[in-house]
Amino acid sequence: MALRFEDDFLKKLEYLHVVSRKAFAGQNRADRLARKRGRGLEFADYRQYAPGDDFRHIDWKVYRRLGRLLLRLFDEEQDLPIYLFIDNSRSMSEDAKFDQARRVAAGLCYIGLAHLDRVSILPFRGSLGDETVPGRGKGRIFKVFEMLEGLQAGGETDLREAFKQFASRSRQQGLAVVISDFLDPRGFENGLKILASMGHDVFVVHVASTHDRDPGALGEARFVDLETGETRDIEVTPALAEAYAQAWTRHAEDLERFCGRYNLGYLRADAEAPFDEIILKTFRKGRFLA
Amino acid sequence: MAAWQAWSVMALAAGVAAWLFFLKVRPPRVNVASLLLWRKVLDQQREMSWWERIRRAVSLVATVLVALALAIAVARPGPRASAASAGRLLIVLDSSWSMLARTSSGDTRWSRAVAGARALAASAGSDAVAIATTADGLVEGPTTDSALVETALDRLRPSGGEGAAWPHVGGTDQVHFFTDGAVGRQLASDVVVHSVYEAAPNVAITALGVRPAATGQSSAEAYLEVANYSPDPQTVTLTVTRGTAVVFGQPVEMAAGEAVRQVIPLGDAGDPRIRASVSAAADALDADDEAVGWLPEAEGLAVTVVSADPGPLGLLLSRAPGVTPTFVAPGAYDPAAGHPDVLVFDRWVPAEAPTRPAMVVASPIAAPWLGTLGDEERTPHWVQNAPHPVLAGVDPLTIDIKRARAIRQDALGPIASSEAGTPLVSVRETGGQRLVVMGFAPGESNLAYAAAFPVLMGNVLEWLGRPALDSPRRPGPMLLPSSATRVVGPDGRPADLRTAGDHRLAMLDQPGLYRVEFGTAHGVVEVNVGSSDVSNLGRTTLPADVTSSAAGLTGAGRPWWLYAVLFALVLAAVEWWTWLRRITV
Repeated sequence: MALRFEDDFLKKLEYLHVVSRKAFAGQNRADRLARKRGRGLEFADYRQYAPGDDFRHIDWKVYRRLGRLLLRLFDEEQDLPIYLFIDNSRSMSEDAKFDQARRVAAGLCYIGLAHLDRVSILPFRGSLGDETVPGRGKGRIFKVFEMLEGLQAGGETDLREAFKQFASRSRQQGLAVVISDFLDPRGFENGLKILASMGHDVFVVHVASTHDRDPGALGEARFVDLETGETRDIEVTPALAEAYAQAWTRHAEDLERFCGRYNLGYLRADAEAPFDEIILKTFRKGRFLA
Repeated sequence: MAAWQAWSVMALAAGVAAWLFFLKVRPPRVNVASLLLWRKVLDQQREMSWWERIRRAVSLVATVLVALALAIAVARPGPRASAASAGRLLIVLDSSWSMLARTSSGDTRWSRAVAGARALAASAGSDAVAIATTADGLVEGPTTDSALVETALDRLRPSGGEGAAWPHVGGTDQVHFFTDGAVGRQLASDVVVHSVYEAAPNVAITALGVRPAATGQSSAEAYLEVANYSPDPQTVTLTVTRGTAVVFGQPVEMAAGEAVRQVIPLGDAGDPRIRASVSAAADALDADDEAVGWLPEAEGLAVTVVSADPGPLGLLLSRAPGVTPTFVAPGAYDPAAGHPDVLVFDRWVPAEAPTRPAMVVASPIAAPWLGTLGDEERTPHWVQNAPHPVLAGVDPLTIDIKRARAIRQDALGPIASSEAGTPLVSVRETGGQRLVVMGFAPGESNLAYAAAFPVLMGNVLEWLGRPALDSPRRPGPMLLPSSATRVVGPDGRPADLRTAGDHRLAMLDQPGLYRVEFGTAHGVVEVNVGSSDVSNLGRTTLPADVTSSAAGLTGAGRPWWLYAVLFALVLAAVEWWTWLRRITV
């Protein structure tokens, strides 16, 4: 799959930026307002000078008038750490689903790069894959495209193990976006809890396809679990098909409910939905992009 | 197929069907992202509805039933199957016309009988089977070739034979008789009777007679007798046609069991063919709804009298109804002129033999074709040698002959002679050519004034030109004089005519008018089906204990195995439909 966006579309993406519901300290100066006062352009406050402070920020006019050394404080605009987790387990191997997931990742990555955010792409399945940090600036998007195009789906999903590995390294708090179908036999709850407990602002992008929602043709069929290879002969009756559809709806609702409970953002990205509509409408409507 | 074979086939079919049902057909593979949700769904589905629990069993039962029905249709086991498999078997079918009666299920008694016979023959296994009918006798076998038996059963049709002898086949171990019992028969005690009787309403023409009129209003009349053999009153439409002209047509309200007799006057001129028909709502037998009659007088008889002085002969022929006489002087006689039905040579004979039926009256000369002249005998006393149609009703006591001259020839057979042996009336019948020779002239006797004269002349003309035949009669074989040369059936095709000793045997199988030809002369036979025996479909001569025995053997109505096939098809269609909708497995 070739991950290339139209120029017009890229232009539109540049006007967007990822909304974090928390303010995090960045490492580099960027467009995003950080919690700490620093070397930004916008005046924020005064404080008493202390030795070691940069004397260039002493307000000499105030000193002359009041005789006190006061330091001028500015809001510092820093970059935002964005961690893009993309599920590349076997369950995502369906072309439409995996392509959609990669496109979403690429789109979000581009938006982050355009705003000089520090984007990390972390593929995961049963464990965390190799992290890709493209760097800063939208020119690095081609590296991202290259990385995502080379991504292969395979292996079992284990959100808990993957996020445990992520948590095992010290990382700056930031925005964590998890793009997955969340069909983890062990459940999605533990993994997401780990991520939320690390203080990240977590957004869940639930990728689903028609195949996931609907078993397809009726009749006797041998269903094969793509991840485990487990087979099961099932006589799909209309009633059973209906029950399956309801089960999937419950699964999606459970995920959304879980996200609500733990203050995680939840967005649906159906594989069949147009990608630009997801980015420009769904994500904006979900206040993930602005 | 023997019973054990039939049941084996059915058991095998049921077993195979069940095995195929349980045989796992490799289902199509469907790759899914995860079985996680399926597991949840199936865990919940453990609480199945009662239909979910039994639907697999229902499908299995339906599959086995379809296989069983098809196996039954193929094997066709019958309740009598084992009874027949004990030696050579003779199956006799009653071929009375009443067997064509329709039953309540739409088929006929005959088709039931054939189905029963077929089932019985099939159950005989390797035993020889013979097929016979009451009309035709043995028609097939004894044979072990089931194809021959099937073919024979296919080609058989009812053709009467009410009076025919019971067919006998030597060496038969069992005799089975399929009948409706309309015609009573004395049967041997070992004959197994299968009844195909089922009471049916019927309307029939039980008699049609065409005869000279008893009154002077018309020259002839048709006597029609119609019976309503129905348990209910109904409207019956009677129609009588003469040729193509309708001479009578009228609806008649007939009570249950009522018989209506109607006399229809017929005019002098017209078509000799008389056809009567009836129609009614409740009428199970078509064969007796029509009857035919023949009015010979209407056909006319052309008689050429070659005489110098016909005298009383001419007067009689001129007044005879239906006779068209032509008088020719001996000198003007031309053998090639015209084609009269009868030639009368009065005291003169030509040198060449006539090509038409002829009567020679007191020939004064001999001719090679006629014979030699014998001595003249004075006042011969009439003695009848043997009964003959020519002398039927002729009272010799009223005839006083002054003199007679013998004409002798080997082929001429005297039917009336004098006590001295002089032939008075002789007949000859060779190669379809009929000849009557009278050894005396009306003028040489009191014949012209005797009561026997018109009777004798009428007999002579009828025997020569319109030979009377035993008519009307029922369909079946008919013995004819050896002079019969051809029989033409109602459909215009020649009927089967065989020589049987001194006679000819004609097969008059279908109702209608048959033309029997005797050289240049011909007669007509009326063959009708209807009678109180055949047409009364509400009664049977069979005892009550056999009246329903064939129902179990043949199944009511159409061959029962057709219903088995139909059942299998319907069940398979329902199963298919429910399977498509996942109602069944």
